Amino acid sequence: MKPIALWFIFIFSFFIFPSCAFAQVTPTTDQTKTLEQQINSLKDRIASKVATLKLVERRGIIGTVISVTNTQITLSDIKTETRFIDVDELTKFASVSATENFGISDISKGTTLGILGLYNKESKRTLARFVQSIRLPSVFHGAVISVDKDTFTIMVAYEKNKQIIVDVESTTKTRSYAKEDGLTQSGFSKIQEGQRILVAGFGDTKEKNRIIASRVILFEETPRNPAIQVSLPAPIKSGSQKTATSSSE
Amino acid sequence: MKAEQIILSFIAVLIGIFATGVIFFIYQTTRTVPPQNLKTVSTTAPSSLSQSSLFLTVDAPKDEEVSDRKVITVSGKTSKDAIVVISTNTDDLVIEPTSIGTFATTVTIRDDYNKIEIVAVSPNGEETKTTKTVTFSTETF
Repeated sequence: MKPIALWFIFIFSFFIFPSCAFAQVTPTTDQTKTLEQQINSLKDRIASKVATLKLVERRGIIGTVISVTNTQITLSDIKTETRFIDVDELTKFASVSATENFGISDISKGTTLGILGLYNKESKRTLARFVQSIRLPSVFHGAVISVDKDTFTIMVAYEKNKQIIVDVESTTKTRSYAKEDGLTQSGFSKIQEGQRILVAGFGDTKEKNRIIASRVILFEETPRNPAIQVSLPAPIKSGSQKTATSSSE
Repeated sequence: MKAEQIILSFIAVLIGIFATGVIFFIYQTTRTVPPQNLKTVSTTAPSSLSQSSLFLTVDAPKDEEVSDRKVITVSGKTSKDAIVVISTNTDDLVIEPTSIGTFATTVTIRDDYNKIEIVAVSPNGEETKTTKTVTFSTETF
């Protein structure tokens, strides 16, 4: 009798328990529809949010102003690509020259700007949140053409054989590089004609092809770029003579 | 009896493989491809030996990146015998890549907008350059 009873209970439980479980879990048709609607709505919202996040990203751009209107700034970025910057009422303006009320009307062609905003990958436009007039140092990798020890100026040839006059001042950080020693302190007297050089500095407001060096690195072992042709020492204009004076960036 | 069956089966398989091979060979040699299915593959001629093998790829930072940290990593790959000169708004660094040409270092960026110039210089003086814009900002918008 006992085995039969056990067998009966086993069979009973086999059929009854799953039925109970399904009866509890399986919702009614109405409930299913509401749940599906909620899931679909959530899916749509997530997809929309993801698409927006993917489409727009925060970016910082540096460029020179090509043209400016009340709502748009056109820039040429550091890769000389044209960039369109949209400006709205939330955009904040600032300037390194620190005028009290700097605004879009103060921006003119040729000004270097830093733009922080939202870049739209589809329209390739940037909605500016911060616009700042900035001043960045120029960096030149070139070769020394001539050294003027009286005026503490050097003539440097760089890419496409362009030339620039460099004022080395007492505040200029002059270093030299060798593989064994790394970067070490150096001075103006160590600069030699034909030597490979890195010059970083700010342009002279009066002379276009003249910069005031804030940093100089002399490369002792690395030769100059073969693409740069160094010929006879070029004369440095007598009218542009300067003595080594201290100046800030 | 069994041994005979095995040998016969083995011979039959061999004959089958041979026959398939012959048919496949005949098919391949006699097959004609229609002209519209022909594709022309052009290959670039290898560069001359005198051309430079200097290259530079920068993995980090991304161009126009906005960072909320002042110390950022500059990493990438170049020729193993080159030197890498990294110039920021305020300083310059000269580093040597590893034996496989990879390099990585950290630089400190200034507030707001930074132009980071990375130049790889080969032992013969040739150079290749890439510039990245990195903006320091903690603003949320």
